[in-house]
Amino acid sequence: MLTWEFPPVLTGGLGMACYGMAKALLSAGIEIDLIIPTNEEVYFPLRKPEDADSMPIAFIDPSRGKKFGKRVKIQHLIEGAKYLDMAYFTTGEKTFKSIWEDEILKGIKGITSLDFLFDILSKDGPFFPEVRNYTAKAVNIAKHLDFDVIHAHDWLTSPAALLIKGLSGKPWIAHIHSTEFDRAGGAGDSRIHNLEYMGVQLADKLITVSSYTSNIIIEKYLADQNKIKVVHNAFFVETTGKPKQRIFKEPTVVFIGRITLQKGPDYFLDVAKKVLRKEKKVRFIMGGKGDMEKEIIHQAASMGLGTKFLFAGFLTRQDLESILSAADIFIMPSVSEPFGIAPLEAMSYGAVAIISKQSGVAEIIESAYKVDFWDIDKIVSIILDLVKNPKRLKEMSEKSIEEVAKIRWKEAAQKILDIYTNT
Amino acid sequence: MLHIVFYFQVHQPYRLRQYRLTEIGKSGNYFDEELNRNIINKVSDKCYLPTNNLLLELIEKYEGAFKVSFSITGTLIEQLRQYRPDVLDTFRALAKSGGTEFLGETYYHSLASLFDENEFLEQVQLHSKLIETEFGLKPRTFRNTELIYSDKISDIISELPQFKMILTEGADKILKWRSPLYAYKSYTKRHLLLLKYYRLSDDIAFRFSDKGWVEYPLKVEKFIDWIEKLPLIEKTGKKLYLNLFMDYETFGEHQWSDTGIFEFVKNLPKHVLKHNFASFIWPSEVEDSINYEPEALSVKEPISWADTERDLSAWLSNSLQWNASKTFYKILSNIKASGRKDLLDTARKLSTSDLYYYMCTKYFQDGDVHKYFSPYSAPEDAYMYFMHALADLEKRLEEGI
Repeated sequence: MLTWEFPPVLTGGLGMACYGMAKALLSAGIEIDLIIPTNEEVYFPLRKPEDADSMPIAFIDPSRGKKFGKRVKIQHLIEGAKYLDMAYFTTGEKTFKSIWEDEILKGIKGITSLDFLFDILSKDGPFFPEVRNYTAKAVNIAKHLDFDVIHAHDWLTSPAALLIKGLSGKPWIAHIHSTEFDRAGGAGDSRIHNLEYMGVQLADKLITVSSYTSNIIIEKYLADQNKIKVVHNAFFVETTGKPKQRIFKEPTVVFIGRITLQKGPDYFLDVAKKVLRKEKKVRFIMGGKGDMEKEIIHQAASMGLGTKFLFAGFLTRQDLESILSAADIFIMPSVSEPFGIAPLEAMSYGAVAIISKQSGVAEIIESAYKVDFWDIDKIVSIILDLVKNPKRLKEMSEKSIEEVAKIRWKEAAQKILDIYTNT
Repeated sequence: MLHIVFYFQVHQPYRLRQYRLTEIGKSGNYFDEELNRNIINKVSDKCYLPTNNLLLELIEKYEGAFKVSFSITGTLIEQLRQYRPDVLDTFRALAKSGGTEFLGETYYHSLASLFDENEFLEQVQLHSKLIETEFGLKPRTFRNTELIYSDKISDIISELPQFKMILTEGADKILKWRSPLYAYKSYTKRHLLLLKYYRLSDDIAFRFSDKGWVEYPLKVEKFIDWIEKLPLIEKTGKKLYLNLFMDYETFGEHQWSDTGIFEFVKNLPKHVLKHNFASFIWPSEVEDSINYEPEALSVKEPISWADTERDLSAWLSNSLQWNASKTFYKILSNIKASGRKDLLDTARKLSTSDLYYYMCTKYFQDGDVHKYFSPYSAPEDAYMYFMHALADLEKRLEEGI
């Protein structure tokens, strides 16, 4: 399994989804060799469900492993580097071209678009040096492994997956959690589009996290409908039954996510302004960081909302849980959301979710309000209605807990298992 | 005759810690004790102790001819009591030396004069009481936070008749063609006004160690030469007042010891006093020394000594600062109305102007003076944590915690 995130390395949505999925697949008896960005040539041989937490480490070069000693932990391999170090390409005389020709391409057969891939990878820009590095390491690691299927998440791991397929002749399943069309909110980066297009076209099977995302890749990347299977994300419910820990006695409405165009933070602010005009006894909390953060903070202050609209800034996992536990209503006004795990987690804490129709999670949830992200008046009227009817709020809250408890990784893993078997 | 008014602002705020949203209703401890203690210790060792000792020495040496004035805020006195009683002792020694005047201001170095008249007067009275208990002196001269002044502020201060003199900034926009060397009166003529001579004050406070400045290095001889050449001296027979106002931290903290700043102070009285045209004076002596009827000045919009604008924009120029201030004074009045005296002191510590200064987005760039003074990496962070503290305070008030 190839992925860019896996806890404790970058525990965003992708990381948490891979963790849940891996754990459920391990429970179903699948063995996983996990390759993630590290600054050493290592992989993580996961054999039983607990391994997803303890993360056993295997070094390709055992003498290198000895240097670190027996007690080496994953944290030691990611220390100081947000992604991974550049050592592989900056030491010695090696250029990417020489590594590509002398090391990466050795033993690779049957792949026709290698020049195209080289052209894209050798360009500079955000992520590309890291992707080159990951690709080279992953291919080298894979030469030492024995496996049946390549399961690769998102475009960052696509180049590695394609090359490993050429190396091993094993099928490549591309798992699509989001596309550049969701993230960019505009034209996006053409190199990333190219890599996503390549993945959609050349992978043997495609898994998408929602029908919403399937439609995007069919429409934009001309994906072959017959190759696609939808497997909605799930998550581990650990929170059910815990009493709510309020921060404010007033009803509390929460937004948590990256403060960026895709997530619709400006719609959340407009909603707050309109609600507070009609009902003073409501609190709004916005948690997260992002490129629109400053703009939104200044806007909120200029509306003179006092302490009614507060920002939480960067959230640790513990902060996140505390705020969800304090939430009565959770809003996800995303402009485009391939899946959207946050509302599920909020619901498990008894928050009533108001979610964008332009999201994957809307396909699987009954007991949430589904709205168009731009329909501020509708969202305002739902909030006012819930605030004025504590009984309805409580009923919806109970229904939310109940429904979300049924969404398990076990079922999702079974679907993935079927895909493995039939590939 | 030229009288030099050498006046120092001595202040440190209670800086806030990064009070997280999830702590609202749980902790109630908003202040960064470690940071505040470290800063008090650092400034004490680099500035307060050496400068106090130097001034004591000079006051003794010139037997009453060398005079300086201080205003020390309540938030600093409290922190000195807690962390550096030895420094407080040297301020007491200065008060006893007979060479100093202690001025009145707001206890919390706040912007209350702009938002809440009653709170403003209460804070000024609290401060005067503190100065009397600590130093045995009753302030008779008033200087508002950051030299903020307007006609309205003069009106409010009239409620406290002990203050006959107010210090403020010699801003060009109010002086126009006039010279800051004259004493002036408020628009109602109820207060005497002394206006900071900002060029010569800032030569010491800001430019002293600037190697890019054409006048670098600034020696006392040169400075005295400038004073001698000030226009009007000895020509009209009117008494002139050269108002050198600055932060006390200029000595040893903003201008480090190795810049020669202490030598400068040490040599200043010697060179001033050997000329018969100049002497040192306290603000409270101006009333008796003046030999003309000062002109009345009207100041409609508040002025201050901050930045090149010399207005309120350092504390009140963006929406973060306005929302924080307005929300704060609303909660403060609710606290007073509820009779929750236990919350009052903590609340008032949040009125300190520095906390709003940290939210200023004007000039927030590397190396800038705003950034130098801020404990936060961004104004938005300062705002966020401040609002969490306010929300906590509000919750304690509303829920009776």
